[in-house]
Amino acid sequence: MNSEHISNRIRRLRFEKGEMTQQQLADLVGVTRQTIIAIEQGKYAPSLPLAFQIARAFGVPLESVFQYEPENPASTHNSLL
Amino acid sequence: MNRLEKKAWANLGGMILCVIIAGPGIWWMASNNIKGPVVLIPFLISGLIAGSITYLKSIKHWAKLDEREKNIAQRAGRLSSGVFILFLYCASFTVFLVVGAKGPVPAYLLPAMFLSGLFLMVFVYSAAILVQFARERDDE
Repeated sequence: MNSEHISNRIRRLRFEKGEMTQQQLADLVGVTRQTIIAIEQGKYAPSLPLAFQIARAFGVPLESVFQYEPENPASTHNSLL
Repeated sequence: MNRLEKKAWANLGGMILCVIIAGPGIWWMASNNIKGPVVLIPFLISGLIAGSITYLKSIKHWAKLDEREKNIAQRAGRLSSGVFILFLYCASFTVFLVVGAKGPVPAYLLPAMFLSGLFLMVFVYSAAILVQFARERDDE
C-alpha cells in the first residue's frame, strides 16, 4: 500500500499516553512491533480496521492519528466532483 | 527474527534437504534409464519433506501473521508465481527451439522441468520475504 501521503502522530501520542512503548501498542492492536515501527516511520499505511484500532487505543478520533496529504490537492478536489 | 522470516529460512533449509536426499536418486535413475513405479520413490520422499515444511507450516503460521506480514507474503507469492510461469514458458520454448517441433524429448525432462520450476518458485518466495525484511531493517 502506498503510504507516501499519509502522515501520523503515533509517536507523539504514545508519549502523551504515559510513554507507551511500541510493544505495548502492538499488543493492544494485535500486530508485531515491527509493524508499529513501519507505520510510525510512514513506510506502511495500515488498513482501515487497524487504523481505527490504533486510534481507539489512544482514545482519540482517527483523524487525530492519521492525516492524508494529497500530492496535488486540486486534482483530488476535481476527481471528487 | 519474526515468524515469516523463520518460515522463509525453513523453506530454504527444506529445499536443500530435498536436494541432498532425493537428488542423487533422481540423478541415478535418469542416468540408468530406470522405468516403472520405483521412479516415484525419490519424488515422493522430496515431496513429503517439502510438503511438510512449506505447506503444513504455512497454514499454521498464516493465522498468526499480522496484516503487514501478510502483505509481504502476498507480494512474495505474486512474484514467485510469476517467476514459475515465466520459467515454464522459457523452458518449454527452449525445448521446442532445441529439438524442433517433432523432435524426441526424454520423458524425465517434463517432471524435471516442473520440479525445477517448483523449486525456483519456493526459492524466489523465500528470498523475496527475506529481502523485504532486510530492506526494512536497513531503512530503520
